[in-house]
Order: sequence, then C-alpha cells, then structure tokens
Amino acid sequence: MIRISRILVLATLVFAACSTEDDSNGGGNSNDNFDRGAMLANWADNVIVPSFENFQSETQKLEAAAKNFAANPEMSELEALRAQYEDAYLEFQTVSMFQIGKAEELNYRNFLNTYPVNESSLESKIASGEYNLSLPSSFTEQGFPALDYLLYGYGSAEATLEKLGGNENYSNYLVAISERINALTSEVTASWQGDFRDTFVNNTGSSSTGSVDRFTNDYVMYFEKILRSGKIGYPSGALTGTPSPGNAEALYAGISKELYLKAFNSFEDFYKGKTGPSYSQYLDYLGSMKDGSDLDALIRDQFEAIKAQSADLNNNLKSQVESDNTKMLTAFDELQKAVILLKVDMMQSLSTSVDYVDSDGD
Amino acid sequence: MRKLFYSAMIFGGLSLVSCSNDDDNIQVPGENEVVVPANYTFERDNSSTVYYGGQTTRLEMSKEITSNFLNFDGATEEMLLNMFANENSPFENAELNESSKSVKSKVAASNLYFSTNTVESSEIRNDFESWIAEQMTTVKANKDELAEAGKAGQIAQGTTARYVNGKGLEPNQAFAKSLIGGLLVDQILNNYLSQAVLDEGDNRMNNENDVTEEGKAYTTMEHKWDEAYGYLYGDPSIPANDPNSMLNESDDNLLFNYLGRVDADEDFAGIAESTYEAFKTGRAAIVAGDYELRDEQVEIIRENLSKVIAVRAVHYLQGGKDALNNQEYGAAFHELSEGFGFIYSLRFTHNPETGAPYLSKTQIDAYKQALLDGNGFWDVTPETLDSISEEIAAAFGFAVSEA
Repeated sequence: MIRISRILVLATLVFAACSTEDDSNGGGNSNDNFDRGAMLANWADNVIVPSFENFQSETQKLEAAAKNFAANPEMSELEALRAQYEDAYLEFQTVSMFQIGKAEELNYRNFLNTYPVNESSLESKIASGEYNLSLPSSFTEQGFPALDYLLYGYGSAEATLEKLGGNENYSNYLVAISERINALTSEVTASWQGDFRDTFVNNTGSSSTGSVDRFTNDYVMYFEKILRSGKIGYPSGALTGTPSPGNAEALYAGISKELYLKAFNSFEDFYKGKTGPSYSQYLDYLGSMKDGSDLDALIRDQFEAIKAQSADLNNNLKSQVESDNTKMLTAFDELQKAVILLKVDMMQSLSTSVDYVDSDGD
Repeated sequence: MRKLFYSAMIFGGLSLVSCSNDDDNIQVPGENEVVVPANYTFERDNSSTVYYGGQTTRLEMSKEITSNFLNFDGATEEMLLNMFANENSPFENAELNESSKSVKSKVAASNLYFSTNTVESSEIRNDFESWIAEQMTTVKANKDELAEAGKAGQIAQGTTARYVNGKGLEPNQAFAKSLIGGLLVDQILNNYLSQAVLDEGDNRMNNENDVTEEGKAYTTMEHKWDEAYGYLYGDPSIPANDPNSMLNESDDNLLFNYLGRVDADEDFAGIAESTYEAFKTGRAAIVAGDYELRDEQVEIIRENLSKVIAVRAVHYLQGGKDALNNQEYGAAFHELSEGFGFIYSLRFTHNPETGAPYLSKTQIDAYKQALLDGNGFWDVTPETLDSISEEIAAAFGFAVSEA
C-alpha cells in the first residue's frame, strides 16, 4: 500500500513536470466547473435562512414565555417556560453550525451556548441586579446553559417555583437572557434576509476568501470542535484522559443526547443537501476517492455508524459518562473518523486549505 | 525487491521527464539542495530553529514520577496520580507544576494509532494508573514482608531488595518500561513523524515559503520534527546538538538509555548512529523541502526505535529465564518486570512496511497474559519465555541469541 502510494506521488510529480499549467491549488482540481453558485444558493435559500426563521419563531416564544412567567409566576407558566426552553434549545442545534457573517461578527454561538455555566458568578450577578450581557466575560452567564441552570438546577418544579417565583431579581434575569437570545437571533436572521444572502451566494470564487472555502472551514470546525469535542469529547475526557461529566450540555435538564442527535442530524442533512446541491453532490461530481473507495459513500457510511452507535447512549450524557464512559469514548472515536474524512479527504478534494489546525504540540 | 521496484520507477520517471526541454531534474517546488550538518544544528537568520522544551518537560516529569515509586515513606497513591496528570502542583520542581503539560495526556495519544481509538487509549492510561495504585497500596502495605507466590512483598536480588506484587511483577518497572513505548515511541513514531502531523493543513506550503510560527524562528513542520527528536534526545544531560557523545553516559533512563544499550551489543552496533543520521537528514530534507527524502528517514527511525523495544524485550525474557534456571528469583523477577514493560511497549512500535505495530495487539495481549497467568512470574516456565522470545525476534527479523 505504501509502495503504491509512493509510486503515485512520484508519477504525479513526473506529470506535473511535463505540464505547463500552473496548479496553484497544490494538487487540487483545477478543472472544477461545479456550479458553486447553485450550491451556495441552495445552502442559503433552502437551509440556512429557513433554519434561522424557524429558530427565531422559537426564540420569540421563549421571550414571551419568560415574560409570562415573570408577570405571573405560577406552576403552569413555569412549565410552559421549561417546555419552550427545550424546544428552542433543540431548534438552536439546527443553526449553531452557521457561524459566518453576522453570527461570526456577533460571537453568536458563544453568547447562546457556552457551557458549563459559571454558577457562582451567575448567582452573584443576579443577586446584585447589575450585569452587562454584551461583555465577552459574560459568555458563561447567559444563553441556554444559564436557562438550563435556572429552570432545572434547583431541583423539582416546586422547588424551582419557590426559588424563582417570588424573586424579582431572578425573573428579571430570566427575561433579560431570553430577550438577548431573541434579539441576537433576530439580528442574524435579518442579515440573512437582507444583503448578506447575496454577498454570500455571489462570492463563488475558489480562493480562500470565497464563500465555499470560508464556509467549509467553519462547517468542518463546527463538527470537530463544537459537536465532537463539545458534546462528547470534553465530558468523556477523550482528549485529556480525565472524564468531566459536569461539562455535558444541558447539564440540569438532562437532554444532552437529544441535543447531540439534533445537531448531528442537522449537520448530516446539510451535507446531503436535502433539496439541492451540497457537499455530497460536489464530491460525486469530482469523483473523489479515498483508498479506492468513493469518498461520498465513505462519509455517508460513517454518518450511519455514528447514528447506530448513538443508540447505546443514555439520554443524559452526564449519566453515561458516570455509568459507562467507554460508550462515550466509542462515540468520540466514530465522530473522529468522520472528522478525518471531512477535514483531510473532503477538504483536499475541494482544494480548500484548512485555516485552523488541531494538533496541540509542545 | 523493494529497492528494485523503486529504482525502476525513478528510471521511468526520468525518461518521462525528458519530454520537457527546460529541465531534466525532478525538482519539486520549493526544493533546494539538502545539506546535512555534522550536528543537529539548524538556523534561520542566525537564530536556532531547534526547540523541544515541551518534550524535555515531559521527560523530567516522567523522571520525577518513576523516582518516587519506591519512596514508600514520602509518596502516596494520590501524589503519584497527581504527578501523572500534573494536577494540584505535585512536583518538587516548581517549573513542572506551572507547566500546562502532563505525561498522562500524551500516553497512547498519537495521531496514527489513537485519534479514533480513545477507547483503547483510555484502557492504556488506566493500566498506568493501576500500576501506581498497586505500588502505593498492595506493595506498600507489604513492604516489610517477604514476597511469596500470590503475596506482595520484598524479594532479594543480591544485596538489593526488589518490591513485587503477588505475581512477582515490580509495578515500578512495568510503569517505567511501558512508558518508553506508551509515551516516547508512540509520540515519536506515530505522532510527530507521521504525515498526518508533519503535513497537516498548510504545513508544506508554509515550510516552503519560510512562513514561521508566530514569534518563532521555525516553521511548523520543522518544529514537529524537533518534537520527535526531543522525546529521544531531550533529557537535560544529553547535549542538544551532539547527543551520541553521551551515549550510555547520560542521566536518561528511558528510550535514549536503551538505544545506547542496544547499540553496545555488537549485533546491533551502529543503530544509534544510524538513528541520529536519519534525524539530521530528515530535518535537513525539511529545510530543503524534499519530503520524499524526509519520509525515507522516517522509515529508518521507525524501524530502529521499534527494534530497540523488541531487542530489550527479548533480552530481559532471556535474562529472566537464565535467572529462573539458577533459582535466583529476585534477579529473575526484576528482569521479567522490565521485560513485561518492553512487551507492553511493543504495541506502539511501527513497521514501515505495514504502517502498524510489528506484532498485533492480540499477540501482545497474549504474551502479557502468558506471563501473568496464575501466580505470574512464580509459575512461568522457560518454555513460555522462549516461545515468546522466538515470536518477537522473528517478527523483527533478528535471532533470540543476538539480543
């Protein structure tokens, strides 16, 4: 195998020496006439914009539910708010990967979903009634993880109602962070509904500043850092060897597996393109292969393996780490296999250079 | 066969290249003449580009951990576990406490073998922690009793007392010798010298265009290579640019030490020199942008360092067998404990022909099982030790008698 690949490399060099054409992409496909514009339009019009619009309707309901509870702190309002928090958190998993444009500028994902929450500083901010949620230092005091803590961190619904119900500081804070989630989401959604859609779709170049290159970097980085490491790697200690179940997402509501699968399914759907061209079709068009196998098929198969493995996981990934962490590590290993296919093989096929690297040297 | 095949390709390549009029060299973009220096000295704009402080740090941590295994009065299980993970400022050397690095995080952590195999990686780290635990609980509790089959305690080797568990295994030797594979060999062969790491992202392009890391004199690829170098030659007692001048005289007690021991065996004389030459040549090839030459050196290093592990494994199994035949149990158990660690380390060797360890995990697990079955070293037979020795030596292409 090694021998063969070495011959291929050599043969490639030889041919390159004969060719007068300068392949500045470094071994990529210089005759790539895939319609990038159509792919970008499909992404924007059929996936990204509708996903943000759906999510925005959830964040509007979330803000309304928080205000209802503040005005009328009863059990039924608390239950409605809890339910809406879960619905919105799930829907957030469909847009979290789109950290480009306005979302990138606003640090959108960090404000909505940095976990674990910093409980003590959150409590002291609430007690003082003074806070500036636009500060980066407040990432760990807002967003869905803060809602998770406030709505589920005090125990039963009765205990939660008792804690939050009669206390304006708490209800003000609940409203403030719900408003902020909704406001940031409105801003990002509006930018896609406005000029940014065309800016994104028309930037069809194949250089590192083209939309496909930039988005692909964000998309793959999301899979590696946010989905693989954030949801599975950190709680299981896959990289450090020290499990830390307290790093699970939705620590208190205990819905981390549902969030993980929602994020994963959204990621997979995006890859497949649903109603139009996406990465799957692009790789098919290029005829990309890895070790003699069709690359697109390898990626799809690996996605299936990830989903199949997830059947072994507890609904609460924190409990899974505590009861049998090997299953979490297995999940990590399956995700990492997809990282390699996406980050090395797919990105090479697309002649996209990775603008972030992972290996932590000394 | 391989050589023939290869030169045939070059020949074919050259004849094809003649279609071009301007140049008959296979000149890769960015490639310059390879200049291999006498010592491991590389500079850019008069600044050294060689740096491997992180490796030296981990080697020093390893040394402090292993030196505390027999400190029954001063050390505890918690303290050694803290040292392994570098938590709660456990080290005497304050610089180590301030470091963000730990030994544990790099055990069984190579890109090639473990990036999609964290399940096994976690099992291996557990083994290391279990040797710490066993030393500081079972063995420590019996440190003033005589060991016997099934019972931990002391056993004499000449005038030295060895401390063993109920199977006759010294957990400190198991830990130290397994670390040579689990940390050093794995990081060198399967991480830093792998194409996945050397060629990650834009490393090649940056290397060819002299794009250095921010605030540093080296390119990322140069640095990755030096990090591999540092795990072998990074002990502070080893001179940075001329390590072999201290061969068999340094304070290193991990891989460099055993490279020296194997080199001192006339059957393997020259292995230290050839390893050092390969490190220098590969590094010079990176400077010149000649990645094919670089990867040829990687193969040499992979073969040589893997062989060091195998030779020492067989050496200690045979030493253990001889001592058992003379009923010198203390000496035998000490040899077998070291041998066990080197067998454990076989899992991290790298056969350049296959891209995998020379022996499968299943085979290696079977050897460990055979050694520790029942009452372990108290029961093991010379036949078992011979058959394991034969299999290892055959896989690596040397004779048992040579080790």
